[in-house]
Amino acid sequence: MKCERCGKELTNRIYKINGVTLCENCARVLGYDRFVKDPADLLSNPFSPLDQLASTLMQMNELDFGNSSLTCPKCGMTLREFENEGRVGCIECYNTFNDNIVREMFKQQGNSEYAGRLPAQSADTDCSTKEIPQMIKKEAPKANTIDISEKEPEAPAKEEKAPAAKSDKGGLTVEQLMKADLGMLSDEDLEKGIKAAAEAEEYRLASRLRDELKGRKEGNGNV
Amino acid sequence: MNLREERKVTAMSEWYTMEGKDSDVVLSTKACIVRNIKGYNFMPRLDDKECQSLLETVDGAIDKNVYSGGNAADFDKNTLLRLTRLQILGRDASQLANPDRKAFYYNDDVSLSVAVGSGEHITVKAMAAGHDISVYKKAENVALDLEKKLDIAFSENYGFLTSNVKLAGTGLKVLYTVSLPAISKTEGGITALNQRVKQYEWSMYPFAEGSEISDCDVFIIASVNTQGVTEDEVLKRGEMLIADVIKAERALRDEIAGSKKEQSQDIYGRSYGTLRYANMISRSEALQALGWLRLYREYDDTGDINISWNTINKLTMDILWEPDAPSRRNSQSVASQKFRADGIRKILKGAD
Repeated sequence: MKCERCGKELTNRIYKINGVTLCENCARVLGYDRFVKDPADLLSNPFSPLDQLASTLMQMNELDFGNSSLTCPKCGMTLREFENEGRVGCIECYNTFNDNIVREMFKQQGNSEYAGRLPAQSADTDCSTKEIPQMIKKEAPKANTIDISEKEPEAPAKEEKAPAAKSDKGGLTVEQLMKADLGMLSDEDLEKGIKAAAEAEEYRLASRLRDELKGRKEGNGNV
Repeated sequence: MNLREERKVTAMSEWYTMEGKDSDVVLSTKACIVRNIKGYNFMPRLDDKECQSLLETVDGAIDKNVYSGGNAADFDKNTLLRLTRLQILGRDASQLANPDRKAFYYNDDVSLSVAVGSGEHITVKAMAAGHDISVYKKAENVALDLEKKLDIAFSENYGFLTSNVKLAGTGLKVLYTVSLPAISKTEGGITALNQRVKQYEWSMYPFAEGSEISDCDVFIIASVNTQGVTEDEVLKRGEMLIADVIKAERALRDEIAGSKKEQSQDIYGRSYGTLRYANMISRSEALQALGWLRLYREYDDTGDINISWNTINKLTMDILWEPDAPSRRNSQSVASQKFRADGIRKILKGAD
């Protein structure tokens, strides 16, 4: 197994953080020092490796033995090869491994809906580089602080996408719902989300939301 | 390669030494667009015969009045070294593997290039020194020309189809190469910046991961999303993000130079001395010294050291890419360290 960030072969120390497998060095570079434990820490808390293992297992994809022999009829690529390499062999693979490719896109980008330009048509961009004024001799910030993570970036206004992809009922968008921790959503958000997901034909998402809502209602009934 | 092409390669200017905006922080801006052609398997499943046909098809669509180059197998050693230095070829030797299956075309100043067979069928790359998002339009114009001439793999659902599904969609990557000595020297600085980059749904990673200079202060900040976003959204987010990065780095340089002036001035002078007079120098030591020159250059009021941003940037890029060292496999060897120190001394002597 290799580190997904630097490509180095992993040794016995593997860090799986937000679904990404990292080597020790990359985990440190990315600031996940808290996961990089000193052996002494483990000795003082003998159960922590079990916690790590449990957490890693929880993050693994669902096992799906049903399609493991799926093969592209055009280029002969198998599903297993695609999953190992992250690459497909031909255009037909996009039909053959459609579900797996969509899942991979969601995992990487939280979206699988194309919003870019068409072939041979220029993108509508008005972006130009503006020089950032120098800050020298201005009031210095506080020592050893950096303010770059204190506020949310003001993302540029996203263009409206296909109507089916967004909720028009004041709730979260389908994309947001797909990325959301369902446990953090209100019952009202879940109800609106089910409708939005069904309208967008995202039936898997709709059923996840329904199960979450159902679970809450059953849980409350037992109390 | 014919004589005209050889002359172009040797005469071409080094694009990364041009004057660029915000060059105290941003070394370069790059836009890469990948495309594949219908009727051919993607590269991993393309046999040699099909690959030759692909190379000929793309060669027929390349405007030879603008671009030089051709099949990588025909490049001589000097051309390969120069194209590596100018960042058409990566330092990673894998790009030079199977040269019969690859082709590279580039314009006179090598700021625009088309690679064939490197991961995807076609990779269009536009590069500029400093902070310059106009590279996107330059790359797009090349891609548009090829899209008009060739039958490009495209789906309404997924966009432009690629072998690497992470690129399917716009097939666009925008990359800023930045040098961040002040953020790197600030406790928690890189972690905080990483969090900020993630908020923009971009990624950040060290320029040279897994090597002896993986701890240097040069980073790549790259776009991630190719689905669910327009090209314009990618560019706008990138511009907002890089503005944040530049402001943060400059603010921290102010802070370090202001609060630790004597120490900073001392290290600045020593760093220059090391670069100017060392007989042997490792890549790591050279990059560390250049980081200090970058950090304190605007605050040095002694007037003893005269070094331009262009010189600092050229040295930084040369050491990062370093294609013509005696032994790229062992950049710590005596010969490599001596070769490096000689090169740095020559450039600084010329800049004095």
